[in-house]
Amino acid sequence: MDVKTVKDVAKFAHIELTDEELEKYCKDLSDIMEYFELLNEAPECNERGVNPILVEDILRDDIPKVEYDSDALLRDMDTYERYVRGPRLS
Amino acid sequence: MTMNDTMKDLKAINAKYLMFHAMTDDTDAGDAKFLFSTKDNLTSNDMETCAGSRILEGYRPAFDADCIAKLRKAGGKLVGKCNMDEFGFGTFSTNSGFEIPRNPFDLERACGGSSGGSACAASVIEDHVSLGVSTGGSISCPASFCGVYGLTPTYGRVSRFGLIDYGNSLDKIGVISQKATDLKKYMTVIAGKDERDPTSMVQPEFRTAYRKMKSVAVPKEGIEGLSKEVEATFKKALEQLIAMGVDVDYVDMPSLKYAMPAYYVLATSEASTNLARYVGMRYGHQEGDHSLKFDDYFTSVRSKYFGDEAKRRILLGTFTRMAGFGGRHYAKAREVRQVIIKDYKSILETHDAVLAPTMPFTAPRFDEISKMSALDSYKADYLTVPANIAGIPHMSVPCGYDSNGMPVGMQFVADHWNEDILFSIAEDWEKQFDLRRPEVSI
Amino acid sequence: MKIGLECHVQLPTKSKMFCSCPTEDTEIPNSHVCPTCLGMPGSRPVLNRDVLKYGIMIAKMLNCEINETTWFARKTYFYPDMSKSVQITQYDNPIGERGVYYLNGKKPIRITRIHIEEDPGKTKRTADLTSLIDYNRSGIPLAEIVTEPDIATPAEAREFLTQMIGDIKHLLDIPNELEWTVKCDCNISVGVERVEVKNVNGMKHAEKALHAEMIRQIAMIKAKKKILRETRRYDPERDVTIGVRVKEFEDQYGYIDEPDLGIYHIKDLSDSIVIKESPQNMTLRLADQYKIDAKMAKQLVSTSVELAKLFEKVSRDLGTPNAVKWVAGPVSANWRVFEERDPTLDSEKIVEIIKGFNDGKITDTQCTIEIKSFMTGVDAAAVQGDSAGLDSMIEKFLDENPKIVADYQKNDKAANQVIGFVMKQTGGRYSSAEVVEAAKRLIEARF
Repeated sequence: MDVKTVKDVAKFAHIELTDEELEKYCKDLSDIMEYFELLNEAPECNERGVNPILVEDILRDDIPKVEYDSDALLRDMDTYERYVRGPRLS
Repeated sequence: MTMNDTMKDLKAINAKYLMFHAMTDDTDAGDAKFLFSTKDNLTSNDMETCAGSRILEGYRPAFDADCIAKLRKAGGKLVGKCNMDEFGFGTFSTNSGFEIPRNPFDLERACGGSSGGSACAASVIEDHVSLGVSTGGSISCPASFCGVYGLTPTYGRVSRFGLIDYGNSLDKIGVISQKATDLKKYMTVIAGKDERDPTSMVQPEFRTAYRKMKSVAVPKEGIEGLSKEVEATFKKALEQLIAMGVDVDYVDMPSLKYAMPAYYVLATSEASTNLARYVGMRYGHQEGDHSLKFDDYFTSVRSKYFGDEAKRRILLGTFTRMAGFGGRHYAKAREVRQVIIKDYKSILETHDAVLAPTMPFTAPRFDEISKMSALDSYKADYLTVPANIAGIPHMSVPCGYDSNGMPVGMQFVADHWNEDILFSIAEDWEKQFDLRRPEVSI
Repeated sequence: MKIGLECHVQLPTKSKMFCSCPTEDTEIPNSHVCPTCLGMPGSRPVLNRDVLKYGIMIAKMLNCEINETTWFARKTYFYPDMSKSVQITQYDNPIGERGVYYLNGKKPIRITRIHIEEDPGKTKRTADLTSLIDYNRSGIPLAEIVTEPDIATPAEAREFLTQMIGDIKHLLDIPNELEWTVKCDCNISVGVERVEVKNVNGMKHAEKALHAEMIRQIAMIKAKKKILRETRRYDPERDVTIGVRVKEFEDQYGYIDEPDLGIYHIKDLSDSIVIKESPQNMTLRLADQYKIDAKMAKQLVSTSVELAKLFEKVSRDLGTPNAVKWVAGPVSANWRVFEERDPTLDSEKIVEIIKGFNDGKITDTQCTIEIKSFMTGVDAAAVQGDSAGLDSMIEKFLDENPKIVADYQKNDKAANQVIGFVMKQTGGRYSSAEVVEAAKRLIEARF
């Protein structure tokens, strides 16, 4: 794993790295990914599982409910006239 | 010691061991039937919940986690939220954004992780039960380092409603206590279906009747790489088990060695998506500079408040799930999980449990931990991750002490939904094991 | 030229996709929200059964193969309105794949896939350009329908969208008067390289955006410039597409499974769902089955599916000529008034009136008057006076302009002259449908 890849991954993940950090994570991730090559030797398996147990067909009926007081949910949020405040879009 | 005495001592206990991130100001127990604490990644409507991360500072959830609500309903009083590795990312609780809990047997040593504060509380506070959460061994490891019992139930046994996610296909809520009998008692309260968590809805009945454990399989791969003292202590424990009438067989489980990399790929892939929501809006720190463009704003908040290991795991998980970065690691890891489940099931057809030491060494000193590389500490999880990636129940049981007096634990692993046999062996073991309590002077 | 569309259509559930928050509109920002659709730490999704059901219904309408098992995936992207920075959507094993949908009953448009996913919130810009977010929309269920590049022109894309949305509204019982929007990502290539125009709102804009991009690509080719494979957006005010800078890897979302929901075996559910015939298919079937003009079939179905059903009933009971003469004639002309007047009125009475004519009990004129009287609630004498007045006015005009009858035989648009005359004379006393019916009837009587 090279510095360029770590830089790209970090950018994608919205993490800014100092040069020092970049070097550190690059070394760590290289070591880790090298060790993880072990996975290539693992036996194949055609079964596909989303969970370690079979979780199937759990559904809810389409009944609207207001279960939370929205004022309580907004209590600690940075809001303006009930809108949640966010950064610039462009 | 009465509950009210305990309540009066709590602040002083915490000052010494640093197990709580948030705690009650009450000094008496009121009409509570028991006191409990939980790992700080379970939401509580009366205490800040941060999951060990500074990015969540100030998060006051509007709802109780299902397990906390159930314990309160059963008469429990929540006294504290326990320090932990940030979002569960660690083996020693040293990756906390807040305080690092101290080992009850030696303050210079770690409690283990990531439910370190919970194991510490269970070890130090009398008659106490603490909820932990395990993704890859985060209940077993600290239970072993702190010399207490820790049960991680089957994936889906306890509702994850109110759990701040690390890896959703791996996270399991369990119980830590000094007493084996307590594990069954409190698991009975928190187990069960919850319509708010679909993965809890497929479980069969929670059985607790006694069922004697007759045989265990010890994988050869599970007794490699152990410290000498752990190895010796474990061998002695095996002899004790044989004396209790348990058959011990040695077996081969070659797939175990793939569990660690597969686990880290799945766990970090999922974690990197779970942590994407922390962008400095809606909860936690929101005071960033809104005049920045959103990408830059998110990046600035995340870079400032995520800790070192959180960043490492986000990078690792983002890399392993992005086909564009050249890996098909995620798909492969998902496949390996199925292989490991199959291997466990085949061994558990002829044995009641799989058994190995919980950790390859006893609680390390903080200075030793600071010298470990990221990969070194990942490797330290090689004994706990296989059962965790398979979602099968397991229990760490104290089985001896090393020459420094530090506890050694062993871990029984049973088939999906077979928590009953783990309770049974732990209770049998408890009757003949001389458990040492740490000396708690405040 | 090749055009392919990715269309996002809202599904008409009462509660959101993964939480119980109401989907109905509200003026108050962030009032229909809960920990789940706000993405608060500790919250969890639970799937709404009807989202799965509606998804399967649309998949069937588009003649897709329905997968036996379906599940969800996490698509990660960072934006202020995306409360979890993750959208729960489908990646592998979506609800349906490999379908085909016929435009105007003739041209096959292949459907690549249909999947279900959640909508993000709504973003508002402030004067200082920072954002304000309303998460009421966060978690509203959507179906995403992806076509193969089988659409030939921007106009055809609009036609496709109009027909499909009409069919979906009918299929899911969405009231006709409710506006139902569609959001599209439009892929178009005039030459070799494909360009994606993202996030286009509505059918009209889809056509305009594709048209603007087509013009741009043609100009590029003429100027011998290379068309880049890129993402653009449409600016409706300037009617042009604008390139958007896409960061490396931005078009990758690093999909993983969504482990909070598990999997869904939809074979049985799918087998148990019988979908209604789409208006489009009904039009084709009527023309084919009753050997009637495609235009008449379309007019019947587009007026009302109930009217088309009445046509079928009369055709079955009293023969197709009676259905054509009466249902496609005066009944159709008065249908809107009939529907609006009193929804409890039974159209069975209309069949009885026509039966009276068929049995020779009433005359042609009496039948027309009785139908109109019953349907409009105006008494027969007044109707008689009115229609006699209308008929005689048209007869007189036709006497003065005999060429119209000959012209009409070549092109039925010739009837418009009559209609225009009557409307002008009477200033809206008769409905246009009524005048059209009378004009056609009287012209045809002169053949």
